[in-house]
Amino acid sequence: MTWETKSTAAPDSTTIIRGLVSAKRVPLGSEIYNRLLETLYDEAAALDERRFDDWVAMLTEDLVYQAPIRLTRTGPNRDRDVMRTMFHFDEDYGSIQMRTGRLEKSAWAEDPPSRCRRFVTNVRIGECDAAGEYEVVSYLFLERSRGDSPDNESATAERRDVWREVDGAYKLSRREIIVDQSVLGMSNFAVFL
Amino acid sequence: MLQKSKLTLRDGTSLDDLIKRESNEVSLRVMTDEELYHLEMDKIFAKTWLLLGHESEIPNSGDFIVRDMAEDNVIVARDREGNVNVSLNVCPHRGMRVCLGEAGNKPIHQCVYHGWAFKPNGDFIGAPVEREKMHGNDVDKATLGLKKAKVALYGGMIFATWNVDGPSFDEYLGDIKYYLDQLFCRTDNGLELLGPPQRFVLPCNWKVPGEQSGSDGFHTLTLHRSLMEGGVMGGTAESIYDQAPGMYGVDVSCEQGHSLRCLEAEKTFKMFADVPFEGKSTRERLELLTPPGITKEMIPELFNNLSEDQVEQLATIPPQVGGMFPNILIAFIFAPRTDGGASGALSLHTYVPKGPDKVEFVNFIFAEKDAPEQMKRDMLQNAVWNTGTSGMIEQDDADVWPVIMKNARGGVSKDVTLKYQALHGHERPEGWKGDGLLYPGFTKDDTQWNWWMAYYDLMDEV
Repeated sequence: MTWETKSTAAPDSTTIIRGLVSAKRVPLGSEIYNRLLETLYDEAAALDERRFDDWVAMLTEDLVYQAPIRLTRTGPNRDRDVMRTMFHFDEDYGSIQMRTGRLEKSAWAEDPPSRCRRFVTNVRIGECDAAGEYEVVSYLFLERSRGDSPDNESATAERRDVWREVDGAYKLSRREIIVDQSVLGMSNFAVFL
Repeated sequence: MLQKSKLTLRDGTSLDDLIKRESNEVSLRVMTDEELYHLEMDKIFAKTWLLLGHESEIPNSGDFIVRDMAEDNVIVARDREGNVNVSLNVCPHRGMRVCLGEAGNKPIHQCVYHGWAFKPNGDFIGAPVEREKMHGNDVDKATLGLKKAKVALYGGMIFATWNVDGPSFDEYLGDIKYYLDQLFCRTDNGLELLGPPQRFVLPCNWKVPGEQSGSDGFHTLTLHRSLMEGGVMGGTAESIYDQAPGMYGVDVSCEQGHSLRCLEAEKTFKMFADVPFEGKSTRERLELLTPPGITKEMIPELFNNLSEDQVEQLATIPPQVGGMFPNILIAFIFAPRTDGGASGALSLHTYVPKGPDKVEFVNFIFAEKDAPEQMKRDMLQNAVWNTGTSGMIEQDDADVWPVIMKNARGGVSKDVTLKYQALHGHERPEGWKGDGLLYPGFTKDDTQWNWWMAYYDLMDEV
């Protein structure tokens, strides 16, 4: 992957792309839509229930999993607010395995574990150029209860995914998590989004 | 006999009751006390130098970023002459923020409320409808600029202070400069920030992470146990306390409260390259174990920018983690990658107070400007994997601090003390070239106690 550093101030360091790019829409209610929606629900359940092996089994080995940071901008660049030069998550398949492996040992951040609910909505799907690959855009609302605190921590994000059909099931090969906060209110991302 | 503190809180509690210099203890109450917090804003955050960002974020005339000096929001902008300016982001007219974006380029900053306008250096330009003199009939325009902070650049890092007549930046750094240079000022073109910082808020007082940034090495063995389990620090899960990897070295510190932990390269990086240093010259050592973040081709640059003694230390027992008073943590990590290689990571954090019970964790991730693209990419990824928001090391810290904060609120718990009684005492190792307060051997509490003493001295000033 080539890498060119851009200054924080440079307008072209931020990009606007979010939402669905594909023009070939997979209509709501179609069989593929329903199966992908079911897959998103299954994925959320695997993560909420901390079944990390089940989750990793839903990922492809060429996975790219990133959460760019957001910046508040004004004027002509007011909508260019997704910083793809810096990330909260910048993962590949190996680093995800490193993270899930750690969660089974001494990861005090999740031991005791937080109790999470991932609400997945506003799912829009399009076909990618590659056969059997689908662009899946969803909203994520994560509620996280920790320790004896009665106040949940929460995060909202848009997820721009690519899911690939492998042996009759869909696997996640690309996820960009566009969180809404420029300053996160959650004290860490020891959980996956 | 120590002189009594001049600072007494409204309920009669003296600073000496909270920071017990005779027994090296600090009362947990310091983490929650609101009066103390407001005093800190004046006595510490309006007085010391604070880190705001890096020059490479604003390379062009008119470029700006907006950052926080504690709860004071400031504009950091480059003017036409190329200078970096820091001015309060508060319109002197009616108190609105003049700059609402976090970054961009503007030759003029105009307040959206009534339209007062300012230059990147904070100077007042004028108010709309000039003929009506809406800035005042007999008021000199020169008095209406944004309040300006004093700026210092070090290794391209932008520091600022409101204490215009106070200690110079070099006086603030003191003896730690010799060591920091080895991390920040070692190559011809210096460091660059790889992207704007990660930012997140933790429900705890700034001093909870702050005192840890005074080079708390000991917590690594237990809190960051997963590093040893994963083989990142050497040792094995079964032998963590026997082998105590990363615990032995030389902790360096100074009366200004800064500190760094220097660890022998030969031992630290053993898992990456098992090469004995015995009898090897500085240059040979650098070739065998090139400091993370630079390439073999960049080695000659070290000699251009550092003294022979500094390069020798960097090659042999480099500074790796530590902090700068009051609220900066420095983490220079070398860790394996998932592709079988290894990469460095250089992260600096500021712990910015946002109220007595809130702190913003700002994570700056660096690489050498002249490093190859792939090395920068690796440094960024390694820093994200280990530090900050999702970092596998620091997510555990972020879990501990809010819990300590909760405890500090209890009527009984608040009187529990933090203990810094495992002290080594200053001792100069044989052949050691740098100055400062030196603590060789197993990492102890000395450097963190020095952090509290720097805190005490500032709070005690009238």
